[in-house]
Amino acid sequence: MSGVEGSSTPGKVAAGLRGRADFDPARAEGHGLADSRRAFTTSVRLGWQIESNWTDPLLFLIFLVARPVASALILIVMLEVISGGANRDLRAFVITGSALWSFVVAGMAGLAWSVLDDRERYRTLKYLVVSPSTLVVMLLGRGTARVASGAMGAMIAIGVGIVFLGVPFDVTRVDWGLLVPVMVVGLASIVALGLLLAATVLQSRQDSWSYPDAVAGALFLVVGAIFPLTVLPGALQAVGLLVPLTWWLEGVRQALFPGALSSIGGAGSFYAQVTGRLTPSGGEVIIVLLATTAIVTLAAATIYGVSERRARDRGLFDRTTGS
Amino acid sequence: MTSYVYRPSASPSAAADWDRGRVLRTNIRAILGRAYPRVIGSTREKSWIFFEIALPFLTTSAFVFVYRSLQAPPEYIGFVVLGGAMTAFWLNVMWMMAAQLYWEKDQGNLELYFTAPIDLMSVLLGMAVGGLFASLIRAAVVLGVGTAVYGVVFVVDQWLLLLAVFALTLTALYGLGMVLASLFLLWGREAWNLTQLFQEPIYFVSGLNFPVGRLGFLGALAIATIPLAVGLDAMRQLAFPPGSLPFGTPPPDVEALILVVMTAVFLYAARVMIRFLERLARQEGRLIARGR
Repeated sequence: MSGVEGSSTPGKVAAGLRGRADFDPARAEGHGLADSRRAFTTSVRLGWQIESNWTDPLLFLIFLVARPVASALILIVMLEVISGGANRDLRAFVITGSALWSFVVAGMAGLAWSVLDDRERYRTLKYLVVSPSTLVVMLLGRGTARVASGAMGAMIAIGVGIVFLGVPFDVTRVDWGLLVPVMVVGLASIVALGLLLAATVLQSRQDSWSYPDAVAGALFLVVGAIFPLTVLPGALQAVGLLVPLTWWLEGVRQALFPGALSSIGGAGSFYAQVTGRLTPSGGEVIIVLLATTAIVTLAAATIYGVSERRARDRGLFDRTTGS
Repeated sequence: MTSYVYRPSASPSAAADWDRGRVLRTNIRAILGRAYPRVIGSTREKSWIFFEIALPFLTTSAFVFVYRSLQAPPEYIGFVVLGGAMTAFWLNVMWMMAAQLYWEKDQGNLELYFTAPIDLMSVLLGMAVGGLFASLIRAAVVLGVGTAVYGVVFVVDQWLLLLAVFALTLTALYGLGMVLASLFLLWGREAWNLTQLFQEPIYFVSGLNFPVGRLGFLGALAIATIPLAVGLDAMRQLAFPPGSLPFGTPPPDVEALILVVMTAVFLYAARVMIRFLERLARQEGRLIARGR
């Protein structure tokens, strides 16, 4: 790069100006890791304020719990209508799945909504883009706040299930050795999916607020969140096994409720046909979760990079739309 | 020819010294003008076809498979498909009606609405008409594809009543959307969160995937207050064989009357709220201040 013209990032601008005595490159390029850390923590704090300071704590708590609990209740009533409450295993299965799914939705929506919020509502995205901080770091920070609120909602919903809806839970039987790695890797996969959605809404207009819900709703079908995959046709089961969230849900269920109904395996399942085993072991869940998460993360990082470059080239960061 | 009176007036409409024909024409143009970006916007952003039509069908399918895993009677699959189709309208009412005036404030359009010599109800009606375009397509796809893929069998004896109930459900829903649009504007930043809050909980009390009568008192309360609940129950009674719905709710003709009452009440309430908002906006000026 020989000059400033045509530069598309602050770093390139800095490269163009480097050598001039009155220019400090750090003001455009930032200070590396320290800047990233500061941008991330500031974004998390800002995201949490946006998430929570619109109301008093009690109403915020109700807000956190209402969606996951209502989702679980829809499924509970569906079970009651048909089986009259006879199947307690299935009840635990759907309550856990729907509660965890609200966490997934929150995590996936966090990054995408940050883009839309900052571009369409606050109109600050263009300023963030030209700042020395890396945009994706700030988006991850904003998304983290929503992940945190989603996690709180999911935990409370599972608690409601245990206390009021008869979910059999014994804290002494929890497999922490499985739960901790599965949660960590699962969280990474949720964030990667959120990044994919952020890349999508960078290119689309304001009305894409509902896209995260739509994508999460579609994945809902193939990940065994509310029914065992064995109900699905073989091809859809195979698709489900490629999604990290399927393995995350299976791992969390195995860890919290050892011996509970498997969402992946079971007699006649695609998994059983391929592997010859009825259900996956904890180690197998972790390995497949790691592998699928690595693929999704790589794809998300690549697609996000392409999307951000395209948005810079076409001036999409300061475009506001309405309908 | 445009003419305005030169005296203190309560509103831009009052200041415009127009005959009735011109007032009517202007308001019709306002309706069409507000509907226009929603219809045209849909054709400019093709991704909504995938995200808002194809994917929601998969969400509905998930609930179909829950019933399949429970070996439920086939009517229940139909209940889910019909419920899935109706969510299109509820989501549209919440996201593109209830929260819309708040968005308009953020975008700087709201003061234009308040200063234009048009009735704000025309703007809201335009939003509804424009929003219906995408919602109808989404609902039709979910219903059509769901019926074909999952072999749903409808048994309809009273087509006219079914169509009337459907139309009344939409008018009541969008009437509610107009009321909520005013309320959400007053509530400011809470509107955004309320939009999210009014999804799954409303789906639950409306019996989106199961007969609402199963909820007992809660279901009765929903039938009396939420257009989605009463409309869906009436449509299920009219579209599936008698006896499919085992729990007692009012017959469909009574539910149609409930929808008529809801429509009238919501539209009247919306009008009152809009007048209140206009007064607040003009006298205090705080409604159009961004960031509240």
